[in-house]
Amino acid sequence: MRMPIPDANIIAQRSEIIERLQQIVPRGEFGDSVIIDSAGLRAYECDGLSAYRQLPLIVVLPETTAQISRILTFCNEIGVKIVARGAGTSLSGGALPLADAVMLGLGKFNKILNIDYANRAVITQPGVTNLSISEAVSDADFYYAPDPSSQIVCSIGGNVAENSGGVHCLKYGLTTNNLLGLEMVLMNGDIIKLGGKYLGSEGYDLLGIISGSEGLLGVITEVTLRILKKPETARAMLIGFNNAALAGDCVATIIGSGIIPGGMEMMDKLAIEATEEFVHAGYPSNVETLLIVELDGPVVEVSDLIARVQNIANGLGSNYIRVSKNEAEREIFWAGRKAAFPAIGRITPDYYCVDGTIPRARLPEVLIKINEMSQKYKLRVANVFHAGDGNLHPLIMYDANELGELERAEEFGREILLLCVDVGGVLTGEHGVGVEKRDLMEKVFTEEDLKQQQRLKCAFDPNGLLNPGKVFPTLHRCAELGRVHVHHGETSFSDIPRF
Amino acid sequence: MKTDFTEVQRSNPLMQMMEENLRKCVHCGFCLPSCPTYSVLGDERESPRGRIYLIKDMLESRDAPNTETVSHVDSCLSCLACVSACPSGVDYQHYIDYARSYIEDHHQRPWFERFLRSLIVYIITHARFFRFVLRMARFAKPLSRFFSSKIFSVINMVPAELKVEKITNTAKIFPAKGLKIKRVSLLMGCAQNVLRPSINEATIRLLTRMNMEVVVTEGVGCCGALNHHIGKDSIARDLAKTNIDAWLTEFDQRGIDNIIVNAAGCGTEIKDYAYMFKDDLEYNEKAKKISNLTKDISELLSEHQLPSVSLSNQPNIIYHDACSLMYGQGITREPREHLKAVGFELTEIPGRHFCCGSAGSYNLLQPAMAETLKDRRLTLIDKVSKSNRASILATGNIGCLMQLASGTGLQVVHTVELLDWATGGLKPPN
Amino acid sequence: MSKRLIPHNKKEVLDIVRGVVNDEKSIEIIGAGSKRGWGRPNKTSALVDLSKISAITLYEPQELVMTAGGGTPIEDIQAILSENQQQLAFEPPDLSILYGGIKGAGTLGGIISTNLSGPRRIQSGAARDFCLGFDAISGRGEEFKSGGRVVKNVTGFDLAKLLSGSFGTLAIMVSITIKVLPKPEKTRTALVFGLDDKQGIQALSETFQGPFEVNAAAHLPADIATNSLIPLLNNRTLSVTAVRFQGPATSVCARCQGVKALWQSYGEVKELHGCNSASLWNEIGNVGSLLNGQTDQIWRISVPPSEGANLVAKIKSVVQCKTYFDWGGGLIWLAADGKLTEVGMAIRSVLGSIGGHATLMRGSAELRLTSDVFQPQTPVLSRLTRSIKDNFDPTHVLNPSRMYEGI
Repeated sequence: MRMPIPDANIIAQRSEIIERLQQIVPRGEFGDSVIIDSAGLRAYECDGLSAYRQLPLIVVLPETTAQISRILTFCNEIGVKIVARGAGTSLSGGALPLADAVMLGLGKFNKILNIDYANRAVITQPGVTNLSISEAVSDADFYYAPDPSSQIVCSIGGNVAENSGGVHCLKYGLTTNNLLGLEMVLMNGDIIKLGGKYLGSEGYDLLGIISGSEGLLGVITEVTLRILKKPETARAMLIGFNNAALAGDCVATIIGSGIIPGGMEMMDKLAIEATEEFVHAGYPSNVETLLIVELDGPVVEVSDLIARVQNIANGLGSNYIRVSKNEAEREIFWAGRKAAFPAIGRITPDYYCVDGTIPRARLPEVLIKINEMSQKYKLRVANVFHAGDGNLHPLIMYDANELGELERAEEFGREILLLCVDVGGVLTGEHGVGVEKRDLMEKVFTEEDLKQQQRLKCAFDPNGLLNPGKVFPTLHRCAELGRVHVHHGETSFSDIPRF
Repeated sequence: MKTDFTEVQRSNPLMQMMEENLRKCVHCGFCLPSCPTYSVLGDERESPRGRIYLIKDMLESRDAPNTETVSHVDSCLSCLACVSACPSGVDYQHYIDYARSYIEDHHQRPWFERFLRSLIVYIITHARFFRFVLRMARFAKPLSRFFSSKIFSVINMVPAELKVEKITNTAKIFPAKGLKIKRVSLLMGCAQNVLRPSINEATIRLLTRMNMEVVVTEGVGCCGALNHHIGKDSIARDLAKTNIDAWLTEFDQRGIDNIIVNAAGCGTEIKDYAYMFKDDLEYNEKAKKISNLTKDISELLSEHQLPSVSLSNQPNIIYHDACSLMYGQGITREPREHLKAVGFELTEIPGRHFCCGSAGSYNLLQPAMAETLKDRRLTLIDKVSKSNRASILATGNIGCLMQLASGTGLQVVHTVELLDWATGGLKPPN
Repeated sequence: MSKRLIPHNKKEVLDIVRGVVNDEKSIEIIGAGSKRGWGRPNKTSALVDLSKISAITLYEPQELVMTAGGGTPIEDIQAILSENQQQLAFEPPDLSILYGGIKGAGTLGGIISTNLSGPRRIQSGAARDFCLGFDAISGRGEEFKSGGRVVKNVTGFDLAKLLSGSFGTLAIMVSITIKVLPKPEKTRTALVFGLDDKQGIQALSETFQGPFEVNAAAHLPADIATNSLIPLLNNRTLSVTAVRFQGPATSVCARCQGVKALWQSYGEVKELHGCNSASLWNEIGNVGSLLNGQTDQIWRISVPPSEGANLVAKIKSVVQCKTYFDWGGGLIWLAADGKLTEVGMAIRSVLGSIGGHATLMRGSAELRLTSDVFQPQTPVLSRLTRSIKDNFDPTHVLNPSRMYEGI
């Protein structure tokens, strides 16, 4: 992976930078919060995309917003780059360190600050895990809706930065749809607060653009989230088919009939087998494709919808239908799906997780083509798929110790993503561009499109110090982007008055 | 994960095991939220995933371990919560054990630390010496502020009053009250028998009432866990061999149906003898046999009908899972079922389960972290005890028992003491 | 009257903007021109009317997606969706009574640019949550796109959110892709009469604490309820607190019964079906018929729902005004005499202590110049806003100063 050339001048100042950081974040009871030794840095060399690794210049673990503000002010002044990191679970290398960048670990921001049932909101620090939010409000029968499969570990700050989805976002939306407010530190050290326990925000929708901005615009230090009352009941169904096309039809028919399930997931045979070994969810072994469809709401509604979905599935020749009988069974149906990625680690030393989105209707042909590619690249692939919203996660299995396999897996992944784009989809549904899909951005966006996105970056971080090398294949200088281009010959309205 | 070992390294079966585990780790981080030290510090180096990385670096570089790496390996409690959380099947238990012995072999600690580590483990695992030290320590208690924090923590753990053991001092065979249905060998434990002999007494009373003959097998001593967990592998193996030989002799000469352990930490260790000796030609079969015979007391009780309940107005209790029982042996259901069966009202501690900080000799070697974890656990426990007026906290491991008792007003007891009490035995001592 | 330019396609919009940039002039962008009274009055060299860029170019009901020109009449969109039993879940209100325009007028571009959302906002989200992607011409005279046609998409910055609610100050959206959703089978509304503001919001809050899946929740004080055209509301002088249920028939009936039982202790409980239910929520969303003072200034205030009643009480202690609540108490519509100049100040000084924002939705041109139409920003936010504007529209040719002076 080609990364920006490290700035030798910054590396040369390492000891001064360390000294300053140690002043800002002093040593605590349990040791140093400024990590400088190579073994310690090694622990931070990669995120969830472990194929790409790089030792950071320094890691600092601040505990307060004020410390972050001082760190950023200092780094901005002398031109040191910053890479923020939450739980380090990005699957696109969003938190991949840089040799000349300070890595800002937000692990110590791990407290929930306020739970407000009357306004159905939670204020939390960004290092708190996604699942902890739901756990904290579960006694009052509330929950936080977006539930990425890594919810047990991924942090809320990271969720905002990546605009994480999950298995329930078909009905309840992504992070951006459930975010009420933020506190954030800009690269120049300014602290801004956006939104709060109310709907909508003042002026431009900065909450909207910070969601999914992959750490390029600021460092999130506090998050206000909308929580929802748990549905009266939720039941999950396992529906098996002998081929993926029928499963695809089933998904389309369910949605076409006006039903929006809480979640609708698809797994192929390999994925079913691998996860079954970890969770023993009782997934059927005699099906090629398994759908997990969850219906939630009032009891009467759910029973009615289950019957309708059953009819649809039967009509399409499903060869396996099982409806969860209780909460424990429903949870175990999901447990398999949620652990699907790492569970693949049981059957392969390494895997590469792809994350494209396609229009639902194109699913069968895309799956056929992926299988053809699997033959071509001589690499196995397991498919896990957010069927309801067309978000595809082929898991390409490879062995990093075998020469050339990683490169083959990457090439395979690229081909899948370009196929997604070809059929009207996009490069990434929820894992982000990061470094992984960075160089494919030019395949979907024109130079003008990318320039416009980078101009937004310029408004927040004109020196380009936050998480460089991610998202954009080339980072233009803001001065160059800011120039107004004179369009020759277009003065057709010279007769209109000036003000 | 990509690994980079030499062929020479790969020829070592332990190193092969390490590599196999590394290959399985996909860096997903699912272990992070399960890790007590990560939950406190939010530092990747203090998480299982981070430690796997640090250790990988240490092994691959083949350099002497650096002190930072050593300190992060030392701070792992070996609570094994991460093992249950890992979807990819990484065997962190044996990974960290090996790392510890590797550090022991390749890293020179400062003399005082070396001395202290050896001393602490020696004392705890040698009953007579332990008793002596405890008596001395009681006098030293008022002076403890003059000692280093580690010594301070040892002294502070000393119970205010030392019980003089009764029955188990002398007798070695405790016959079944009625017609004998089983013969079991009870591990007395080293620290447990000194710190709270009533646990073994209650166990013996209960089992004999259930018509089992209980024997204390001659020659069986410390299980080796404490040494094992600070990287002193050869001592641990020697202790294990002694025990294996003693039990086998008992098995061959007089016959035993099971080896019963009521200190969960020891149970985990003995059940792991099979793994410890898997590459040892002489001992692998023997160790396997011993591991297979071994059961936690709660497992044994599940196979039989508990005696009839004689107690009434049982108090409300709170049950704390010992990590060694919950993660090490996968036992969570049985103790709860037994307690309910004899009429105790059981309350669960809310939130995610975390280690109480005891973890063998951890609370002596890492007092600050142990104290933090204890406080966290007790904050939750005290909250529940207030809301449901529970006065007793039950657990299945002596370490947790001592650790929690040192910070709460609740009476902390071993599960088996309650079971014995409710079915005609004695009330557990305070 | 400024010059009106009517482009027919993207290329013509591009030419217009490039011309304006070169000539250092400025333009106001309109669709149907139905919401021109919203925002600061601005003087521009010309009016760009997008009403001819109005084709629905893609509609795949099974994929829940539609792409249409920025100038597509919202009525056309709603009609075709309705034929397919689908709808815009964010329920964009018709502000024609408020602004005195043609009933039902408005375009997709206008609704997205103002991020206009109705009562269902509390459950389904705002217009911005349904905007999946767009093609636009920036204030630099550059064509660009963002987003796509699928819901799950994090490929690059989410500029669709930025342009939603930017009032045409950053770019002209020529084509917009939105997510659409199935129409509910059945709708029903539960009412309880006679509660004061505080009790009313409390009653609404209780419905959110239960398993009722309320998708709209409003409280109309007696002086507002009386303006309703629904006989059940206007033939008595009582406040009315209302929640709406939508979904499969059996579920709607069960949930409605549940809330009626919950509310029994509060007072007289009734329900509205079909047409009456729809009319009530139209009135609440459309504002104009409930706050019917022709010359009144109208404010929209967003606050934490639990603070709604408190805030209104405080404002009423300094300014004479009428108010009602939507969004479970979190959205306050306020009408006061159009000549009063201190209303905005009063609202915002109260807001300062509890958090939230207020927008002057309607007022005389003079009032819209003197009061901040949109919530004033902190210096840091203001700097950021200016910087974004400068990066998209450096010479300020698009709707200059419509939101904030100099933006």
